[in-house]
Amino acid sequence: MYKIAKHLAWLSLWRRKSRSIMVILMIALSLSGLLAIQGLYDGMITHMINTTIRSDSGEISLYTKEYRLHKSLAYKLSPVSKIEEKLSKIKEIISHSVRLQQEGLIATAHKSLGANIKGISLEKERDFGNFDTFITQGDYSFGKHKKEALIGATLAKKLHLDIGSRVVFTAQDADAEINAISFRISGIFKTGNPALDEYTVFVSMEKISTFLNLKESATQIALRIQNTEQIKQVQKKLQTMLPELEILRWDELYPLLIQMQEMMQIFNLASYMIVFIVAALGIFGVMLVSVLERLREFSIMLAIGTPYKMVRNQILLEATFLGLIGFMVGALLGWIILLYMSTWGVDLRSFEAGLETFGLNAILIADIQYYYFVQAFFAVFFATLLSVIWPLRILKKIKAIQVIQGKML
Amino acid sequence: MKLNHITKTFYPDSPKEVKALTDINLTFNKGEFTTLSGESGSGKTTLLNIIGGLDSATSGQIFLDDEEISAYSEKKMAKLRLQEIGFIFQAYNLIHVLTVRENIGFIMKLLKFEDKEIESRILELASILQIENILEKLPGEISGGQQQRVAVARAVASRPKLILADEPTANLDSKNSERLMDMLRTLNEKEHVTVIFASHDKYVLEQSKRIIVLDDGVVIEDR
Ligand SMILES: Nc1ncnc2c1ncn2[C@@H]1O[C@H](COP(=O)(O)OP(=O)(O)OP(=O)(O)O)[C@@H](O)[C@H]1O
Ligand SMILES: [Mg+2]
Repeated sequence: MYKIAKHLAWLSLWRRKSRSIMVILMIALSLSGLLAIQGLYDGMITHMINTTIRSDSGEISLYTKEYRLHKSLAYKLSPVSKIEEKLSKIKEIISHSVRLQQEGLIATAHKSLGANIKGISLEKERDFGNFDTFITQGDYSFGKHKKEALIGATLAKKLHLDIGSRVVFTAQDADAEINAISFRISGIFKTGNPALDEYTVFVSMEKISTFLNLKESATQIALRIQNTEQIKQVQKKLQTMLPELEILRWDELYPLLIQMQEMMQIFNLASYMIVFIVAALGIFGVMLVSVLERLREFSIMLAIGTPYKMVRNQILLEATFLGLIGFMVGALLGWIILLYMSTWGVDLRSFEAGLETFGLNAILIADIQYYYFVQAFFAVFFATLLSVIWPLRILKKIKAIQVIQGKML
Repeated sequence: MKLNHITKTFYPDSPKEVKALTDINLTFNKGEFTTLSGESGSGKTTLLNIIGGLDSATSGQIFLDDEEISAYSEKKMAKLRLQEIGFIFQAYNLIHVLTVRENIGFIMKLLKFEDKEIESRILELASILQIENILEKLPGEISGGQQQRVAVARAVASRPKLILADEPTANLDSKNSERLMDMLRTLNEKEHVTVIFASHDKYVLEQSKRIIVLDDGVVIEDR
């Protein structure tokens, strides 16, 4: 019985070829578009999270409890070697970076702006998050005598700085004395993280330690963790090992990223609603028309004793075929687009100015997740089921003999 | 088959009330070849539909082999129609996505006959009804007369006890009508299937062994 229904459904579908193909394309195109957009947005978020982790927070960062509130050197991490020794005992930590930061004033001959000066080790940062890849101009170097600095692209632009320009940085040292130090710009970086690009100058750890009159001190120690699943567990471990410190995950330091991720999820959900509606309306239209125009044929079938169940299955299967083929074509198309966008990326250079504020690079790499296709499948599947309810109701209500004799419709 | 005091009223208790059938008592024996005759509006179609369980009587009973089928549920009735009754309607009887061959075998397939048996039955009927050369065609590709013959083949294929045909010749020219009737006659004689027609076609009446004349929902003649 099921076989006959399947046979009939399949034949009926291809009897009205152009109509079927239209619905299939409708579903396929909206679905592939959705998959592409979803992958792109996820890629965008993943990219932003990644650069933030690589350039600043790591998966976990250590501060003293008061530092983030007061941003004062009084609340420094010290001695660093003691903390490092403890960190070395946790094998999940694959890399760490020690940073010393102070707020101050950066000045050229013409202009001065508030900025942060941050002492780092170039080798450590390269190991930590490939910071060298963020350099857009000049070199990833502090020069022979460590008297050169890296500067954020936006800050450089505001101060009209080029490679080789000289700047003076003024700040309070650990003893509350105001000191000034001058640097030559060796490189300009762009991370997409506004806190760095707009306000930060990187200099060598040695130089800033002398400048601030500190030894073995840091304001932040950022950690890279091997696996995402280990982050929380490492955080817990650190909290018991170093109870006097504040141990924060990247998502606690940058809650905005999580908010954006959640927003994207809502956005994706809305997109699924659209695909759902497109699929449901498309299949509904085709099924309604094709049931109505075959009402006589169905009536004859019912009159000669065909069980209602078989006719119902035939209609259900016709709709299912439409939905399934639409899904398969759409998923394949979407997968090809996603594959392209995840290997070659999408060149957003023309929108760059606008997207930069979100911390995006010119080339966006899309994500591909297995669950996109599962979600899409269920959206189309339920749309299919929903779309045949009404046509089936019509069929259930008719009196076969009246249709055959032309007394109905 | 026995009809007991069958009455059919459309729109009962309303100003539009139509008494289509009044107190019909009839018995049909196995192997009969009967035609219901009468003027237009006399109730032929209504009676045939009630016999076939496509419509229900307002009152009265129908017995088939001592079973009261007028009390059957819709689902049980559908099963009975599938197993025991072959229908031929006035026109457009066929499923248009299936070939002539598949149309003839449709009911046998539903009844789960074996493929081999279905195939031999199709060939047998195709030869009697002279439709061997159109077996692979779709209904839309053959003439009205051919379509009606295919419908006959489908109706008799599973050897039902009863064949009901409502003006099967109405859309055919006289030559095709005669051909169809001759073939049904042959099947009736060969396979002893009971046939009931509703028709006012002269040739159909000539071929019938028994003629029941209705007038305004009442049997006025039975010969
Ligand atoms: N579905 C219906 N609703 C209301 N009245 C109906 C219905 N079907 C038939 N009738 C009425 O019942 C009576 C008998 O109709 P029926 O169709 O049985 O006649 P008939 O003998 O088959 O006529 P014809 O030779 O024209 O086909 C007529 O008066 C008709 O108007
Ligand atoms: Mg009639």
